[in-house]
Amino acid sequence: MTFQNSQPSGAAATERLPLVRPEAGAGRYVGGVCAGLAAHLGLPVQRVRLMAIAAALCGGAGVIAYLFLWITVPVGDAEKVMRQLADPHRVRTVAPPVEASDEVGKQPWYRGISVSDLVLGFLLVLVALAVANRSITTALGQWLLPALVILTGALLTWSQLDERRRGKILAETGGRTPWSTVRMVGGVVLVVVGVLVFVGRGTDTATAISAAVAAIAVLTGVAIVLAPWWLRLIKDLAQERAMRERADERAEIAAHLHDSVLQTLAMIQRSSTDSVTVSRLARTQERELRQWLYEDSPEHGTSLAAEIRELAVDIDEQYGVPIDVVVVGDAVPDDVTGALVQATNEALKNAVRHGRPPISLYLEASERRLDVSVRDRGDGFDLDSIAEDRFGVRESIIGRITRRGGTVDVRQIPDGGTEIRIRMEFPGDDENENS
Amino acid sequence: MTDQTESATLLRLVIVDDHAMFRAGVISTLPDDFQVVGQAGDVDEAVAAITELRPDVVLLDVHLPGGNGGGGAEVAARCAQAQSPSRMLALSVSDAATDVVSVIRAGARGYVTKTIEPDALADAVRRVAGGDAVFSPRLAGFVLDSFGAPDMQVAERDEELDRLSAREQEVMRLIARGYSYREVGAELFISVKTVETHVSAVLRKLQLSSRHEITRWAAARRLL
Repeated sequence: MTFQNSQPSGAAATERLPLVRPEAGAGRYVGGVCAGLAAHLGLPVQRVRLMAIAAALCGGAGVIAYLFLWITVPVGDAEKVMRQLADPHRVRTVAPPVEASDEVGKQPWYRGISVSDLVLGFLLVLVALAVANRSITTALGQWLLPALVILTGALLTWSQLDERRRGKILAETGGRTPWSTVRMVGGVVLVVVGVLVFVGRGTDTATAISAAVAAIAVLTGVAIVLAPWWLRLIKDLAQERAMRERADERAEIAAHLHDSVLQTLAMIQRSSTDSVTVSRLARTQERELRQWLYEDSPEHGTSLAAEIRELAVDIDEQYGVPIDVVVVGDAVPDDVTGALVQATNEALKNAVRHGRPPISLYLEASERRLDVSVRDRGDGFDLDSIAEDRFGVRESIIGRITRRGGTVDVRQIPDGGTEIRIRMEFPGDDENENS
Repeated sequence: MTDQTESATLLRLVIVDDHAMFRAGVISTLPDDFQVVGQAGDVDEAVAAITELRPDVVLLDVHLPGGNGGGGAEVAARCAQAQSPSRMLALSVSDAATDVVSVIRAGARGYVTKTIEPDALADAVRRVAGGDAVFSPRLAGFVLDSFGAPDMQVAERDEELDRLSAREQEVMRLIARGYSYREVGAELFISVKTVETHVSAVLRKLQLSSRHEITRWAAARRLL
């Protein structure tokens, strides 16, 4: 690990890290532009920040550059990208090495402070200074104040267009989460107010208000004109996405049919004289297709019903005898159901060897009770010989189940056939048995 | 049921399935006392054939093209609306509970899978013609599942539509285990006729009850 890490950092010294903005929290305070630049240029992050602030004070050039980079530079982990470039086969399984975070982790004391609070606070202080200082007010206040308001509004709205969230916002067609809506509306209002104050400075209140009304009317008019176009754009986008999804789905179905059904059909044609093989192929294919069509296969180890069904499939594949499975309810597998599944397996094998198809397998499962029934249709039987014949199997079924507190009942059905019933009950909340 | 088949001369059948090959296969395995009077390949053809020919039994595929896309259930519902006396037996490869339950709720008197043995199919057709219900093990399983088994509540009175009576549960459990009606009768010490009565009662409950359980259960499995 340590030896492997030395390699990419060595590479970073000669070859520059890609320009990306770190993710929120990982050394990112406003937009992560300074941290990203620092990593890219190989400079200490404080120096970059100081330079940015200095540039911002030079007529706002730094602010504009910052905003530009904020919008255009993607979010990512530069070290990770670098490592992937250096060794694409190495899969990251461990936490990022310390050196990746030490330059950004030096000031842990303001980690917990919200970035937007800081920015807003800073802007408010500037506004307060501007208002308090008469000389500034008279000289610069006329444009500084509205400019700050506009900037605040723009920050609020633009922060939404952060690369990270852009996709999500588009997906929700306009940012439907209440918080983002508030931010969007608040930002727009601030910008509009700022622009109005900016443009209307030096005029009296009445003119300013009528100008504001006119401006809002124009904006509303434009919005009304553009709304249908905008809505259609959104709708087209959604439609296009849905169509693409459908096409993908169709491609998947076609691929599946080709891999399974067509292959099986070809095999059936080749072995059409062997009826046993044909019916086995057909059954296997049917089962596979059915499972693919109708069942969301549950995660392994979460469904007793799925285990029982698998058992029937295994028996069919092993012996070529179809099993009719009916399952009612389901349960989470544990030791007890494990024993039940094993006993059921024995019972099925027994039915396949000694009985005659069709063989039925029934499972009824709940929290309190497990019921399994395996029945075959063997004809005319000699009870003694069967008892002897099946003694071992019966022991392995009965022994297994009774050790776990269950009962096994082997019964002969008058019309022919044998049924093995396995039942397990769990004591507990019996009070709502017959409520 | 036996006297029914002896007294009836010929059972008149209409077979509804969109696969001509499957229709031909079924026809070739039917016994001689069955007469196939018509065939149909989609919903509208089926409704027209059934209302015009008035067969005793309709073998109805669950998945059918045409109509309003409702498949076999739509055929059953439209024929019921047209006061057709024909009885429907649903025949399907589908394992999806909603498909099966919807066609039963639309009025079919039974449901069997297409892999059924020819003898068993003939038996099922006779049973349906005689006015009884035909439940395959799988349908019995669906019924038990949808009525909330194994923790289901037992109906105190037989008239309760949303619950099965204790006896009906027992009958359903045995059918789900693969017992024939006769074997169910022997097991429970009741006559085959009584078994048929219970099965018909379950069918009626399935068709008439408000069935909030079915919806809930199907929704839980993302079937609806």
